[in-house]
Amino acid sequence: MLSDVIAAVATPAGRSAIAVVRVSGDGAHTVASRVLESFRPEPERRAARSRVVHPATGEVIDEAVYITLHAPRSYTGQDMVEISTHGGVLVPAETLAALVAAGARVATPGEFTRRAVLNGKMDLLQAEAVGDLIDATAPAQRRTALSQLDRGLSLRITKLRSQVLDLEALVSYEIDFPEEDSGPVAPERIDGAVEELCEAFRDLSRTAAEGERLREGALAVIAGWPNAGKSSLFNALVGHERAIVTEVPGTTRDAIEAPVTCGGFPFRLVDTAGLRATEDRVERLGVEVSHRYLDAADVVIFCGECGRRLEPAEQEFLEKLNGRVVMVRTKADISPPPCASESGIRVSAISGEGLPELRTELARFAFATLSGQADLEPLVTRERHRAALQVALEETEAFRDSRIAGLEGAVAAIHLQAAVRALEDIIGVVTADDILDRVFASFCVGK
Amino acid sequence: MSALDFDVIVVGGGHAGAEAACAAARLGVRVLMVTSAIETIGQMSCNPAIGGVAKGTLVREVDAFGGIMGRAADRATIQFRMLNRSKGPAVWSPRAQCDRGLYRRAVRTLLEEQDALETVQATVARLEIRGDRVMGVVTQDGRKFRGDSVIITAGTFLRGRIHIGLETRIGAGRAGDAAVVDMAEQLEALGLEVDRFKTGTPPRVDGRSVDFSRLERQDGEGDSFRFSQFVRSARPEQLPCWITWTGEELRGIIEDRLQESALYGGALAGRGPRYCPSIEDKIVKFPNAERHQIFLEPEGLETSELYVNGLSTSLPVDAQIAFLHAVPGLEKARMTRPGYAIEYDYYPPQQLTPWLEVKAVEGLFFAGQINGTTGYEEAAGQGVVAGINAARRHRGEEPIVLGRDAGYIGVLVDDLVTRGVDEPYRLFTSRSEYRLLLRQDNALKRLGPLALELGMLNDEEQRTLERRLEEEEMVLKAAADTSVSPDRVNAYLDTCGESQITETQRVSELIKRPGVHLKDLFRCTGSPMPQAHEESWVSAQVEMKYAGYMAREREAARKLAELTDFHLPADLDYGKIASISTEAREKLGRVRPESLAQAGRIPGVSPSDLQNLVLEVMKLKRNAA
Repeated sequence: MLSDVIAAVATPAGRSAIAVVRVSGDGAHTVASRVLESFRPEPERRAARSRVVHPATGEVIDEAVYITLHAPRSYTGQDMVEISTHGGVLVPAETLAALVAAGARVATPGEFTRRAVLNGKMDLLQAEAVGDLIDATAPAQRRTALSQLDRGLSLRITKLRSQVLDLEALVSYEIDFPEEDSGPVAPERIDGAVEELCEAFRDLSRTAAEGERLREGALAVIAGWPNAGKSSLFNALVGHERAIVTEVPGTTRDAIEAPVTCGGFPFRLVDTAGLRATEDRVERLGVEVSHRYLDAADVVIFCGECGRRLEPAEQEFLEKLNGRVVMVRTKADISPPPCASESGIRVSAISGEGLPELRTELARFAFATLSGQADLEPLVTRERHRAALQVALEETEAFRDSRIAGLEGAVAAIHLQAAVRALEDIIGVVTADDILDRVFASFCVGK
Repeated sequence: MSALDFDVIVVGGGHAGAEAACAAARLGVRVLMVTSAIETIGQMSCNPAIGGVAKGTLVREVDAFGGIMGRAADRATIQFRMLNRSKGPAVWSPRAQCDRGLYRRAVRTLLEEQDALETVQATVARLEIRGDRVMGVVTQDGRKFRGDSVIITAGTFLRGRIHIGLETRIGAGRAGDAAVVDMAEQLEALGLEVDRFKTGTPPRVDGRSVDFSRLERQDGEGDSFRFSQFVRSARPEQLPCWITWTGEELRGIIEDRLQESALYGGALAGRGPRYCPSIEDKIVKFPNAERHQIFLEPEGLETSELYVNGLSTSLPVDAQIAFLHAVPGLEKARMTRPGYAIEYDYYPPQQLTPWLEVKAVEGLFFAGQINGTTGYEEAAGQGVVAGINAARRHRGEEPIVLGRDAGYIGVLVDDLVTRGVDEPYRLFTSRSEYRLLLRQDNALKRLGPLALELGMLNDEEQRTLERRLEEEEMVLKAAADTSVSPDRVNAYLDTCGESQITETQRVSELIKRPGVHLKDLFRCTGSPMPQAHEESWVSAQVEMKYAGYMAREREAARKLAELTDFHLPADLDYGKIASISTEAREKLGRVRPESLAQAGRIPGVSPSDLQNLVLEVMKLKRNAA
């Protein structure tokens, strides 16, 4: 808990030139060496360059600058590596994912600071001030809303944990009370409980996509051929002139990101370079960036002018997005007659026509479950929670599979204990008494 | 030093007392055992059996320290069974039915064979305490004994009171033995928190009046197992147990007479153990159960008396006779002794350190039922811990605390002092988070090296330990070095229901398949079998078969050790830590945990409380530095 390797993105999410990903703990240098291709622990406190590579897939994520720090001469007092990647949302997140694949754990909020205090690098008052600073950037209203959502989730997870404990109690009963009246537990009883649990884990995990969008904002990427009016639409939705708009095709070369609210839901709206084959080297880079955003997008706002028939290449592009598309017809103020088979919301960045409809459609699209419900179901809003649920599901399945393979109950039960621990990472702590209480409640034991 | 001067005094000669005295004496200090009746040293007050699930493993842990219980049980075993045999070696649980007389005499003999250990018959009137330090004991016959450490192992004797029905109440520590009142009053007057528990015992019957033709006979297993890992003693003649069932008629009798039960009529208030319910409890709490199993267990070789396991009761004597006669096979049974409930003082164990010393009184140790536990084995385990640490305190050495991953003894003591008890505490495998690591076959391997380091093993025992460790290594190495070809092993794999192999494989790989046994695999190889004891084979097989799972448990234990290394100051003023919850302040102040790991196991202390506690302690340490 106090010395394992943790990693986190240290800079705020969103548009920025660079982002910093920090790694700390015993073995931080080893973990970093699996991700940074040309990593060297020495010399410390010197910037060096390296490609960032995913250790499992070998995929190149970025070209980055890193600095190694040696315990105790670091922020946390432990061995550390600070990696400066390119900014935005994707590259830092992918770098973090690569570090996790290399053996790091995603840090809990404030964990770097806590370690700094533990190792005497900072006193408590300083640490509290750091915490206040970080918290103050989140709007109070949103925090409240999130904590209410989380409350529902922790109740739900408490119940799931209780179900796993029930299951473990059945196994424990067989081991701890071998000579009892009721005889062995019927295998169907265990099988049924396992299936029910796995289904519940899957159900809850399915809410994770929208939950994370609610926390981070859904990624809405504006795309289309050059000069289709993407940046005008972007500015109209954001509410001020953020992107440079000209009549010259190919003006936008870098992706631009801004937060917007649609129908009460948070979005990260991204304007991208127009999609076309180009000879201009800088513009081509912009197009490559566009594609990366398009791959990660929750929804793609595809722009085509009113009254223009889509080209076959555009049709082909839309098909590749697998339905993650809201079609928009731009420049409605010019008001040309609709072309044959024209579909999509007619929008004008100048008159504002169609913008409310587009916002509603985006909310419905990215938050389908949430926008349709009056009462909120518990929702998995954090990646950490989703990962824990995934572990709980996998361990429960492993319990089932190992039993089928003929493994003894005492051994297979280790999977259930791991599932319980995963759930407790989200909500709290367990005691062996929990198991025994269940045994005593369900069986008449004792001679 | 006068003849009345000792280093460690043990008050009580039951299962905790015997082990405490033995452990302290093995450490080389001068030990006195004071018991009210030398004849009843090692008495089995309740059921005539040693071991069982988790308990059997604990007996072997006690044995690893050179303890008494395993050796005595081996000499007294009249029926032996390995419980959970079909559920895999990881949870095999040895249990022996014992001849009460043989067991008692074996304990006494083993104590008498121990150097530097004396026994006197006397009842302790009071403890000599100066300030907050114990100095010795004074007995009712006026003798004074000096000792730096005093271990109280009073069992159910402190203000013990027996109940049979609503009318009969007898002050007693056990049927036929007087309760201890003086010392109980003195302990309470010291300001220690005291509470009451109850437990019960069933009637016994004359075997000559039992119709065995209506009972199911249960014989024991073969002769191979011994609890002791150091000595292999001969077993006495073997006897069967007998199984029968309660039915509708018995239910009717209990329901009719329920209000006359000491428990249900309101005569008894203390909490009893849920896992050892009286027959009244079983009928009331599980109304849908059609029948309940009863074991008739022999009391010994030289008597026909049988212990009726499963019918613990506090009903009046005539009701007991009536329901006994409703049991198939017992229609004409003559009851030799009635069952009874007993309530007694116990001292909530959160008042103790993790080495079982009373926090408020230096040098005073508690072990056994006085700490709210039940069971001979649980008492014995605490006796070992108290005995070792009482001797070490006398010598001015650091206390020894057993980790939860080291043994069930560690689990037991940690549960007691950290979580406290709200019913008589019994061990289960579910109490441990390391069920796979804590096995009966590796008890000596786990704890023998510590016992040796502490100086508790003699030369011969040391050689036995070393041989045991070498053997396992040898088997593991042989398994890694030996391969077996498809034509040699496929027929065997077929019989295990395992798929055949196509290429030669190492034994250490093949053993990972669920149905495969290590010795059988070696036989297939045609190579010479490594010569090793059964435990070494079982242990090596488990290590290889479940290597991945064992690694997970060891990793969890390693993480826990990290938190255990984070010590909390003994004088920390929890009331002044504003950043932790009110409940946590109160609970932490009561338990005063030694380490962060122990703090984390206290119910009511949340992870965020722990984090804030860490920050606070770090700040204090730096300010002090």
